[in-house]
Amino acid sequence: MKPAKFDYVSPSTVEAAVEALVASNGEGKVLAGGQSLLPLLNFRMARPTILVDLNGIEGLSYIEDRGDRIAIGALTRHRELEHSPLIASKLPVMSAAMRHVAHLAIRNRGTIGGSLSHADPAAELPMLATFYDAKILVQGPSGRRTIGPEEFFVDALTNCLEPEEIVVEVEFPVLKQSGWAFEEVAHRFGDFALASIAVSVLHGPSGLEAAHVAVMGVADTPRRLKEAEQALVAMELDDRTPDRFSEVVVSQVSPNGDLHASADYRRHLLGQLAKRALQTALATKG
Amino acid sequence: MNSDRRAGPSDVLRPRNVGAPIKRTEDPRLLTGNGEYTADRKPDRPLHLAFLRSGQPHARIARIDTAAAQAAPGVSAVLTAEDIADDFKPVIPFSRMPSYYATPIVPLASGKVRYVGEAVVAVVATSRYLAEDALELIDVEYEPLGAISRAESAVVDDAPLLHEAAGTNVLIAREFKKGDVAADLKAAAVRVGGRFEMTRKAPLAMEPRSYTAEYDKRRDAITLYTSSNIPGIVRDAVSESLDLPGHRLRVVAPDVGGSFGSKGSLYPEELLICITARKLRRSVKWTADRLEDVSSSSQAFAEVVDAEMGFDKNGVATSLQADVIGDVGAYSIYPWTCGLEPVQVVSFLPGPYKIGSYRGAVRGVATCKPPTGPYRGVGRPIATFVAERLMDLGARALGIDPLEIRRRNLVRAEEFPYRIASGIIWDKTGFIECLEAAAEAAGYDQLRREQAEARNQGRLFGIGIASYAELTGIGSRIAVAPGMPINTGSETAKITIDSTGAITAAFGVASHGQGLETTLAQIVADDLGARFEDVRVIQGDSDEVPMSTGTYASRSAVLGGGAAKHAAKILQEKIQRVASHLLEANADDIEVTDGKAIVLGTDRMVTFKQIAKAVYSDMKTLPVDARDELSATYTYDPINGTTAAATHIAAVEIDPATCFVQILKFVVAEDCGRIINPMIVDGQVHGGVAQGIGAALLEELIYDEDGQLLTASLVDYVIPSAPEVPVMNVVHVESESAVTGGFRGMGEGGTIGAPAAIANAIADALSPLNIDISILPMTPERVFQLMEKAKPKSKGNADE
Ligand SMILES: Cc1cc2nc3c(=O)[nH]c(=O)nc-3n(C[C@H](O)[C@H](O)[C@H](O)COP(=O)(O)OP(=O)(O)OC[C@H]3O[C@@H](n4cnc5c(N)ncnc54)[C@H](O)[C@@H]3O)c2cc1C
Repeated sequence: MKPAKFDYVSPSTVEAAVEALVASNGEGKVLAGGQSLLPLLNFRMARPTILVDLNGIEGLSYIEDRGDRIAIGALTRHRELEHSPLIASKLPVMSAAMRHVAHLAIRNRGTIGGSLSHADPAAELPMLATFYDAKILVQGPSGRRTIGPEEFFVDALTNCLEPEEIVVEVEFPVLKQSGWAFEEVAHRFGDFALASIAVSVLHGPSGLEAAHVAVMGVADTPRRLKEAEQALVAMELDDRTPDRFSEVVVSQVSPNGDLHASADYRRHLLGQLAKRALQTALATKG
Repeated sequence: MNSDRRAGPSDVLRPRNVGAPIKRTEDPRLLTGNGEYTADRKPDRPLHLAFLRSGQPHARIARIDTAAAQAAPGVSAVLTAEDIADDFKPVIPFSRMPSYYATPIVPLASGKVRYVGEAVVAVVATSRYLAEDALELIDVEYEPLGAISRAESAVVDDAPLLHEAAGTNVLIAREFKKGDVAADLKAAAVRVGGRFEMTRKAPLAMEPRSYTAEYDKRRDAITLYTSSNIPGIVRDAVSESLDLPGHRLRVVAPDVGGSFGSKGSLYPEELLICITARKLRRSVKWTADRLEDVSSSSQAFAEVVDAEMGFDKNGVATSLQADVIGDVGAYSIYPWTCGLEPVQVVSFLPGPYKIGSYRGAVRGVATCKPPTGPYRGVGRPIATFVAERLMDLGARALGIDPLEIRRRNLVRAEEFPYRIASGIIWDKTGFIECLEAAAEAAGYDQLRREQAEARNQGRLFGIGIASYAELTGIGSRIAVAPGMPINTGSETAKITIDSTGAITAAFGVASHGQGLETTLAQIVADDLGARFEDVRVIQGDSDEVPMSTGTYASRSAVLGGGAAKHAAKILQEKIQRVASHLLEANADDIEVTDGKAIVLGTDRMVTFKQIAKAVYSDMKTLPVDARDELSATYTYDPINGTTAAATHIAAVEIDPATCFVQILKFVVAEDCGRIINPMIVDGQVHGGVAQGIGAALLEELIYDEDGQLLTASLVDYVIPSAPEVPVMNVVHVESESAVTGGFRGMGEGGTIGAPAAIANAIADALSPLNIDISILPMTPERVFQLMEKAKPKSKGNADE
């Protein structure tokens, strides 16, 4: 299990990295934390002619407070997000989710840019980008552009980037919320999720004013459930709300079965997690 | 010495090291990265092997085109079955068993392939990278012959034959019978039964299989470094197959990173690497990657058991019958044969219980999968799972507590030695003592009260018990594998004091993580009268140690330890004789302790170093006839071997929301006889139980209908990690056995008891929903499906 032959460059600017990708005629690959890419190379499932290593580029790793938004550099490691007090206070759902990402050694190396680009349907960061409706800033030969998660995540393990484009930053809006929850079930702690849901609610004078709901592990991409959000905002708040919410959530997904869980089991899990999540989110009212 | 010493020679005899929790000698090097595993060998300019493995489950090899690969950069040779046909003799896993067909073992698939992952072509290149590049240039044309993916489908009339020469896919069939089962079942007050299954499992050692063949041009000799736990058997088999005498074939098992059985058979790659080294006159290396290790190392379980047990009205089991079908994979393994695992299921099924009549029939069936082979516990994990499920089903049907029904059926102290219905004889062991000790340590009555409370709250809380017995340290009267001609009944220790006074104890039994370097040194130190830290144990090197079949079947402490005690005594007598010359005292008055020989009651003494100097180096100190080499060799055979037993108790809770099983409590009370090192015993139990948890809840090799392995990586093949393994309470019931030293084997028990205890606990937790547990692992998916199925039924019941 050795990779096929490839070249390697370690540019010091994003521009130079883009140039290297252009020069590779679509055969190059960006290397960030390597936690997903290297196994693919070793299995020879990916056979780039050249690896363009981003790790030598200064200034791609940061967590920046922009008031109503938090900007995160593409090379920021999972572990920095997990332990950032800024993330904990401004993006608490992300903060809670990060400890579910793989294991310590992997969190030490894995990056947000890599995780989003890899686009695993059961990975936390793509789901968080969807949940928060983050803006993904990418740079290519003709400059920079911003992409929303719905456009970015095309399919399982597929993003919308051109081969010469590199994710440089992800900007997360700070949600107005009075309560939130993140729930996930994985086979073992640190495994990819069998099912997961993130919920945030904003209480108004009468009932809920706004809600964010996103799920993963139940479709080929993470999904924001806008209909469930609207249904939730319209619901009467009583003891039965979590059950009704759970039914709406489940009705919005049609998961596939795989080795690890059947479609029915995933649906069951998601329903249970939705209930729990909403109970938690509503309980933190105040 | 002072007079206290004189007063108590018995005090001197009291073991100082045996029984003490001495830290493992091997750990400092292993934990600091200074171990030397096979892959760490650095022979001069080695070549590297890579294998093209079959992607077809069952196909005729029509054509192999290796031309492009031969011409690829760095490639020294590309070998197919044809290219090496004259370089070896096939190895035959012989057995005297009737109704057994021994499939020949060859290094590369010849004529046809029989499972996905079977080695077809070997590329030898200057690096593994280049070798793998060249693999991609090989073209193999296959003609599919039809996959045989399930044992059940292999035995239907028109199933394709995997081995035409066998004339059937049933490679082994056997039956054990005692008494009139049919009549006893008919007369039984209660009959319980079911169809039980343990799916295929990977032994999964941390170190994948690894071989380095170092070629010595001057002598046309090979040193094979192998990650094996049976280096002696490998040496003899390779020697025979390659027609290479033992003095030109040294086999060394250096540090080995676990086996659990997966390194306990001869492998085609071991033959091939030696053939290649000899053919190319170069050293060659190969280490399996994880994918290769999971898909080509021997696998475990894969058995379905239809079983029924009859009880009288008092809960005494009177009768048991079972039909076992084992999916043994594509080949019989050497030396154990494909009968090893499935036949043990029927021979151990009655377990520690006094069941009057028995019929156990077994078929081992060839399928398009890697061979099954030894796996920690061999046959007994599933035998115990089935018997213990039946005990609980009987208890439930009769309204007897599961603890009580075991009390009524276990062989009791006064009844040993006891021959169970399958013919195995248990020597005196603490069956009941383990049961009671486990119940006490678990706080059984209190647990039942907690359960009642939990059930009142609607929680799914269950308690499971499993008792088992196993044969360990098996001597020459019984073959470890049925009908196998290899001597597994004795072991040799050779202890030497060299001219510097240093002590070396050489054992054929190899170590692949058990800590034998420590435990055997503890025994030698005590029985020789040496200091523990002065004893160096060497193992696993055919140039240095006596011939041995290796470490498996919980035998090394019993056989190696017994040999150590005898050899140490002989050497001690030699020391006493020399010392009697040097100290001018009667040999009987000389006590050997702490590396010194002392005249009892005096301060006159000589050290081992002085003794060695007198024997080996001085011209005049000793008369010639007293200068016998300070060395002793003893071959020990425990004849029957000895029993080991344990009771495991698990308490679990199932979360109906996630369908996950959480283990709240796990208790093991085990009888391994006299304990050599309690820390090592605990470690073996902890590790074994962790593997048992994997078997009970997580681990499953899934092959699809086309014989493709779907769980070939550790993302998909889920093993327990630290959070899945609870804190365990291990209680030792030390009833000494009759073998030398009083030891019993205990390397496998954790894996035998845990799956059954957890299965019973899950069944108990789900019993309010009328759910039965008959397949392992109980993954969350399976729990979910069972609970879903139970739903309408329980609703229906409520409506009635
Ligand atoms: C055992 C294991 C368990 C794991 N469990 C989880 C889990 O539970 N949850 C989870 O979310 N993840 C999990 N991961 C994945 C882990 O989080 C990875 O780190 C992450 O998916 C990829 O990040 P990386 O920086 O390592 O990317 P790399 O592996 O370096 O790259 C991944 C892909 O993204 C591309 N890429 C990288 N950076 C950029 C960029 N800036 N712009 C454009 N393309 C880019 C690469 O070319 C490559 O195609 C696990 C990984 C392992 C090995």
